[in-house]
Amino acid sequence: MNSDNAIEVRNLTKEFKVSYDGAKTLKEFLVRRHTKAEKHVVLKDISLDIKKGETVGLIGVNGSGKSTLLKLMTRIIYPTKGTVETNGRLTSLLELGAGFHPDFTGRENIYFNASIFGMTKKQIDARVDDIIAFSELGDAIDEPIRTYSSGMYMRLAFSVAINVDADILLIDEILAVGDQHFQDKCFDKLLELKNSGKTIVIVSHALDQVRRLCTRAVWIYKGTLRLDGDPAYVIEAYKKQSAIDHKEEKKAAVESGTAAYKGVVFIDSPSDFSREKCGQKVTVNGWRIADSDDFEFSVEVNGKPVSEISEVDRPDVASVYEEEYAGFVEDKRLGFSAAFVPEKAGEYVIRAQIRTAGRIIAEKQITVIAS
Amino acid sequence: MLRELYDYRELLKTNVKKDIRGRYKASVLGVLWSFINPLLQVLVYAIVFPYLMKGAGDHYVVYLVTGIIPWTFFQTVVNQSTTCIKANSGIIKKVYFPRMILPLSAFFSGLINFFISCVIIIVFCLIFGMGVSWHLIFVPIIAVTEGLLGLAIGTICGAINAYIQDTEYIVNFLLLMAMYGAPIIYETSIFPDGSRIGALIQLNPMTHIMNAYRDVFMNHRIPDMGAVGIVFLLSFALFLVAVAVFNRMQKGFAEQF
Repeated sequence: MNSDNAIEVRNLTKEFKVSYDGAKTLKEFLVRRHTKAEKHVVLKDISLDIKKGETVGLIGVNGSGKSTLLKLMTRIIYPTKGTVETNGRLTSLLELGAGFHPDFTGRENIYFNASIFGMTKKQIDARVDDIIAFSELGDAIDEPIRTYSSGMYMRLAFSVAINVDADILLIDEILAVGDQHFQDKCFDKLLELKNSGKTIVIVSHALDQVRRLCTRAVWIYKGTLRLDGDPAYVIEAYKKQSAIDHKEEKKAAVESGTAAYKGVVFIDSPSDFSREKCGQKVTVNGWRIADSDDFEFSVEVNGKPVSEISEVDRPDVASVYEEEYAGFVEDKRLGFSAAFVPEKAGEYVIRAQIRTAGRIIAEKQITVIAS
Repeated sequence: MLRELYDYRELLKTNVKKDIRGRYKASVLGVLWSFINPLLQVLVYAIVFPYLMKGAGDHYVVYLVTGIIPWTFFQTVVNQSTTCIKANSGIIKKVYFPRMILPLSAFFSGLINFFISCVIIIVFCLIFGMGVSWHLIFVPIIAVTEGLLGLAIGTICGAINAYIQDTEYIVNFLLLMAMYGAPIIYETSIFPDGSRIGALIQLNPMTHIMNAYRDVFMNHRIPDMGAVGIVFLLSFALFLVAVAVFNRMQKGFAEQF
């Protein structure tokens, strides 16, 4: 293995048996001998070098095999074909709080947890104050952890994980711990580790974090290595492909009857039960999203459609829904604006609706009172 | 592999600590339960057996204590190392560490528990007027031999149990057989000389372990070190096989749960 490399993956293929979830009892084991287990190829012929000091983000949709690749790197599971070699001390943060025992104090549990990562007592002793300080648990550290809130528990677990001395750090989706303040702190700590020359491999759905943290992104697509390079470029290509796939999957699912189209409508202004003046123009502002390309959208006031509806750019809405509605929010004007004039005093019911093929998939209704 | 186990020695230590102190931590009597359990067993046999069996011996209670407490040690090591892979499936799926640490933890926590329990045996010997002698120094040798046998059996069974979960129930049954197949609650003298069952019992390695404990605690003489030595060599050979089997099978553990 090349001494510049922290991880070398060569011609790696991983298969899982899928037809049964594994024989759990003797009976199943004996019965299974007569039937052939179906094989599912999760990773196909992957070769990859990760250099020392690199921060690599593995991206891909659920089931693409990226987490499997990470598990193979940690030696939790082993390849069907090919090899994975690592160079240097490796720690995997796939599980927070592994080995915690509820009846022991936080301090004792630091030792339990850190020892699973292969640290010796001396190494933990040297780190324990940093870990306690990072967790912000204060005096609670000497209480049994069954008395902790789930937030405190996760903070302690993460503090141990992030303070483990390792040359190679493998991380699976764990930046979502605690409140915003703690998350920021964790992110800063990762940046610090990155700058101190550690090799980090992260599996994440948070593309923004990958973009900010990683020096390289590797996109795993249906078990193969699709693209490998600068994060900004790889993420963009990944998002485009996800949008196309999502669109096709949705279409296929609706056609086969296993899923229905869905959508969201919202009216920002006016607010529900607000008072308006007779004879003055009322502008209805809002936004709508649907996971179909041909939907009808209408705004009605007391059952009468408003004829003039204009579209408005809403990048804020697009960014919120870019994952759930991938393929349907890009390059679209999601906002709408419609106006009407209340002639008489009384209640006006405003209803915004999305329909596909005559079916209502989303609706929002508010009432304004004109006087 | 030894090098790696050495690197993870702190994990072994914390596991043993968790096992000994953690098991009963939430209960009122705490660690005492690991000693109360075998004593309650002694109580049951002491009440029932003299009725079933004539001539149970003058010191039947001490005889029972010196049999059941060492047996409990063996049983715990086998049981725990058989179930340890399945019981820790959560972390096995998520964290890499040498899996062999798990059965080894069962061995060491069992051994430490047993050494503490030896105090109870000694107390019984004193109460019933048997006294103690310098022969106690043989106890660690016998205990390590016994524990190693348990570890070897448990390591193989633990690896198999990850794949076929019936193993632990079969092991439970075999342990029960082994218990009645060794002089733990009875004496070998109840079988007439040359009987087939008597010969069979002599083939059970636990018979020789039990005889050795009785020699040390009750008879105050040097145990038959030849017999113990043979059991030790057998256990050690079995342990090497067990480690080889375990190493082959452990690659698939994380995919079994």
